[in-house]
Amino acid sequence: MKVLRKGDIFEQVFVDESVNLHIVQEAGSRVKIHLINFSSATNTVTVEQTGEGCETEIYALAYVRGEEQVTTETHVKHAVGGGKSNQLIKFVLDDNARGRFIGDLKIVQDAQNTEAHQTNRNLLLSETAEMRTQPQLEIYADDVQATHGASTGQLDESALFYMQQRGIGKQKARQLLVNAFMKEVLDKIPNSLIPNSLIPLLDTIDGVVE
Amino acid sequence: MNELLRIENLHASIGGKEILKGVNLVINEGEVHAIMGPNGAGKSTLSAVLTGHPAYEVTEGKVLLHGEDLLAMEPEIRARAGMFLSFQYPVEIPGVSMTNFMRTAINEKRAYEGKEPLTPKEFLTLMREKKKLLELPDKLNNRSVNEGFSGGEKKKNEIFQMAMLEPCLSILDETDSGLDIDALRIVAEGVNRLKTPQNASIVITHYQRLLDYIVPDFVHVLADGQIVKTGDKTLALVLEEKGYEGIA
Repeated sequence: MKVLRKGDIFEQVFVDESVNLHIVQEAGSRVKIHLINFSSATNTVTVEQTGEGCETEIYALAYVRGEEQVTTETHVKHAVGGGKSNQLIKFVLDDNARGRFIGDLKIVQDAQNTEAHQTNRNLLLSETAEMRTQPQLEIYADDVQATHGASTGQLDESALFYMQQRGIGKQKARQLLVNAFMKEVLDKIPNSLIPNSLIPLLDTIDGVVE
Repeated sequence: MNELLRIENLHASIGGKEILKGVNLVINEGEVHAIMGPNGAGKSTLSAVLTGHPAYEVTEGKVLLHGEDLLAMEPEIRARAGMFLSFQYPVEIPGVSMTNFMRTAINEKRAYEGKEPLTPKEFLTLMREKKKLLELPDKLNNRSVNEGFSGGEKKKNEIFQMAMLEPCLSILDETDSGLDIDALRIVAEGVNRLKTPQNASIVITHYQRLLDYIVPDFVHVLADGQIVKTGDKTLALVLEEKGYEGIA
C-alpha cells in the first residue's frame, strides 16, 4: 500500500505489466495511472481518497489477439467529498482474445460534491473475441456528479467502405480505425512519460507525437 | 473518343431484392452524364455497385473500366484505378485526421501506380492548393474526417478529395442535396474546374438545379432499375416541367 501525503503527485505509465496497486490519497494529492497492455495481464488498481480535493485518473488500454486475456479491475473509493475521479478504460480484442473489466466505484454518504466518471469502451475485431464488463457503482451521497458508460462494438463498416473508396486498402483502413479508437487513451500520456517501447505505435497515430 | 466505362445488362440486388434490372451505359472520356429518376429507381444502387459496396450483389452483366473487368476488383483497387464516389452521406471518422486520411489515400494510389510517396512538404503544398479550389479553411487538416462538418462542408470536402485524387471517373451522388445556393456554386465550380478531356463524370441528381451549373452532355432517366430514356441537357428541363410520369 502506498500513501500519498498532502499535495503529492503520483503519475506512472505501465506497459505490458500486470499491475497491482493500492494507493491511499490524502488531501490535495493527485494520482494518474496509465495501463497499456498488448499481451495477457491482470491488473488491480485500488485508490482511496481519504482527504479533500484529491484527483484520481485511471487510463487503461488493452489491445490483444490470439488467445490472450486481459483483466483490469479498478476500485475507486471517495471517502471524503470534494474529490474528482476519471476513468477511461478501452479494450481492443481480436481473434479469440478475452477482455474483462471490473469497475468498482464507491462514493460514501459524506462524500458530497464528488465528481466521478467511469467510461468503458470496447472494440471487437473478430466474431470470437469476447468482452465482459462489470461496472459496480455504489453511490451513497446525493450531491455528486457521477457518470458511467460501457459499450462494446465492432468497426464501423461504413467508415471502412468510405476509406476503401478513397483507395485505402482494407487492412490499412482497419488499422486506421483501431488507432483512432486507441488514440483517446494514448493521448492522455504526457510526452515526458512516453516509454520508448510505445514510440513506434504512437508514430502511426495522428497527433499524439508531433 | 476513348471509351472509359461500359456497363452491359447490369443486374444487382440487395438482401435478395433486385434493384438494377439490366442497366446499359457507355461513357467516353470528356463526357458528363446526368442520371435522374424518382426515389427508389436504383440511382444510389448504381453508384454503390460501381464502387463495390459489399452489401450489393451483382447477379448479371458486366462493367468495364478502360476495358478491365471492374466488378472483379476490390473497392480500393477500383478507387486506385480512378473511380471516385462523392458520397450522398459522407461518413464521419472520429480520430482519423483529414491529413492522415488523405496522405494515406494519395500514397496508396501512388504505390499502385508505381510512384514514390509524396514527401510531407509536397503533400501539404498539394493540400493547400486544392483546398483553395473549394474555399475550405486550413483548420480542416487537423480535424477528424467529416466530424462536426456542416452539410455544406461535407460536400465541399468530397469534391476536395476528388481534386486531390484526380480520378478518371467521378460519380457525384446527390451532391446538391442539403446545399444552399452559395455552397452549390462553389461545389459545381470545383467540379467544372476538375474537368479534363480525359476524365468523365456521372452526376446523380433528383433536381434539374445542379445541372444549371454542371452541364451534362447526356441525361438518362433511370426508372425501376433500367435506363428508360436518354437525351441531351434539355431532357432535364422536360423532366422538371412534366415530372417522371410525363416522359414515360
